[in-house]
Amino acid sequence: MTALLRMEWGKLFRLSSVRAALVLLLVFPLLWAYAPGIFEVYGFFLVSGFQVPALSLLSSMEFLMPLLVAIIAAELVGMESVHGTLPTVLLRPVTRSSWLLAKLLVLSVLPFLAMAYFLIASLAAGAPYGFDAFVGGTGLGEGGLIGQGTMSPGDAAWELLGAYLLAAVALIPVALLSVLATVVTMNAASGALATLAVLIVMQLLVVFPSLEPFLLTRHLSAYTDPVASVGWVVTLIALYSAAFAAAAVVLFERKDF
Amino acid sequence: MTQAPAERAAAPAIRTEGLGKRYGRRPIVRDLTFHVSPGEVYALVGPNGAGKTTVIRLVSGLAFPTEGTVTMLGKDPQQHPEIRRRLGAVVEAPAAFYPYLSGRANLRLHARLAGGVADERIEELLELMELGPAADRKVGVYSLGMRQRLGVAGALLTRPDVLILDEPASGMDPLSLHLVHRVLRNAAGRGSAVLLSTHHLDEVAAYCNRVGIMEEGALIDEVDLDRRRDRYRARVDDPQAARSALQAQPWILETFLRAGQVIFHLTEPGALTRVAPLLVEHGVGLQELTADVFDLRAYYRERVSAERLKRTAGGTGGGTAGAGPEIGRPGSSRGQAQGEDAQGEDAQGEGAPS
Repeated sequence: MTALLRMEWGKLFRLSSVRAALVLLLVFPLLWAYAPGIFEVYGFFLVSGFQVPALSLLSSMEFLMPLLVAIIAAELVGMESVHGTLPTVLLRPVTRSSWLLAKLLVLSVLPFLAMAYFLIASLAAGAPYGFDAFVGGTGLGEGGLIGQGTMSPGDAAWELLGAYLLAAVALIPVALLSVLATVVTMNAASGALATLAVLIVMQLLVVFPSLEPFLLTRHLSAYTDPVASVGWVVTLIALYSAAFAAAAVVLFERKDF
Repeated sequence: MTQAPAERAAAPAIRTEGLGKRYGRRPIVRDLTFHVSPGEVYALVGPNGAGKTTVIRLVSGLAFPTEGTVTMLGKDPQQHPEIRRRLGAVVEAPAAFYPYLSGRANLRLHARLAGGVADERIEELLELMELGPAADRKVGVYSLGMRQRLGVAGALLTRPDVLILDEPASGMDPLSLHLVHRVLRNAAGRGSAVLLSTHHLDEVAAYCNRVGIMEEGALIDEVDLDRRRDRYRARVDDPQAARSALQAQPWILETFLRAGQVIFHLTEPGALTRVAPLLVEHGVGLQELTADVFDLRAYYRERVSAERLKRTAGGTGGGTAGAGPEIGRPGSSRGQAQGEDAQGEDAQGEGAPS
């Protein structure tokens, strides 16, 4: 398993989607930090470097981050089909489940790495505004960007950390769903598109209020707009993740190559 | 030449029984039964789409049979993945490797997955497959032939007991082709069971022990090349008397008549020196004594054509000139009779070897 994990980490950073994501996540916060028309469009202006990561997160979790995570997960599985390396690896004394579990584990850690990188890139983009105490809010807590008076740097940092952490947790099932879809199709593009299709359908299901607490997409923004307690959110996300991973392993075990 | 049949008395390293594979209602492989013993080279040949690759994938455990069973070294490769420690295989043509890694790095990666292989072994294989100078180049820039040679090197990493290769010589120049076949022959000589699919009939005829001919997912014939090699023909003035004299000898495996000549199969090539004195002793005039060279290519062409004719005629096998009722199960004497037809000779005697 250690050899497999090392192999998968090595592959991850060679994926074209990862390289594209690294550039995109670096540039994206700069749009907020240096957008000239932010006041005209949104009616506020930035007063602290802590607000840039918050705005980056708020504006990326609905589509951009799930898209990136889904594409990376799909490519990590689908690349084996493209290169024809999957049968070659499976002919070694490696069980199918351990091979896929190595990918699932790497992809479960991926959202945390992605969010950490995004947070650092956002803080760097917001650096010109400074990180002192400021009047207002980060946009993630009570009162939004207006806030509830003066916010200390410590409080702002904790708010950001908590939000980014919860967002990373919420992205895990997206990655695992993408693995499942790619195992079904054995094609990276199809897997990523199928994942996005499922997420879009889930978003539409909010028209059934009784389903809302159970919808994965509803919890992608749990860090700022929770529909349930953090415990419920984490439990539900864990259940989704386990179900997607188990389904992927079961299907993969019976697949012909 | 690989190990002699007597040396291959051990249990088969690969065995299939009634193996079948369907995708939906469409059968890809039908009722396939064959085995490969340690030290034996078994070649699957057949037209494109005959099902050779599917058989390779079923046997190596990459695909699941819908009928029948596969065992490798006595175990089901699906149920016992650990058996793959003793398997070396190339199932893609060209062999698939991570293009962003060098040839050496790819082999190291496979060595780790295989449970650990000494660096010296990797270097030895890179040299053996003449990849030394290219070992540190990325596989992405390798030619087709280089990838195939790297694939064979990867398959040999663990000195496997079973080697399975799908088109191992695909896209190779003549020198590389010769190299790969020599390496496979040597592996069999050291006791590995080698199963390969190929279109290179002339090359495999030189060293394979048995050849399975596939058509439309079925094994339509199995040719024992060992039995075809130490075979000779004698042109004599009295073929019947010559045959009677020869078939009574313990160093003769079989005899039959073909186009007025006596064809005989020796237990070992050294016994050839006894033939002329024996015939003289029995008053038979010997005009010519020569090796009876088996033309696998012609045999293959004939068998596949006959099978197609048979199928076109409705599958009864009774109404086609080329096939006739002789087409039988793999390895049957009826099947062998077609080979003699392929060489434009009388099948009557071959159908009943003594």
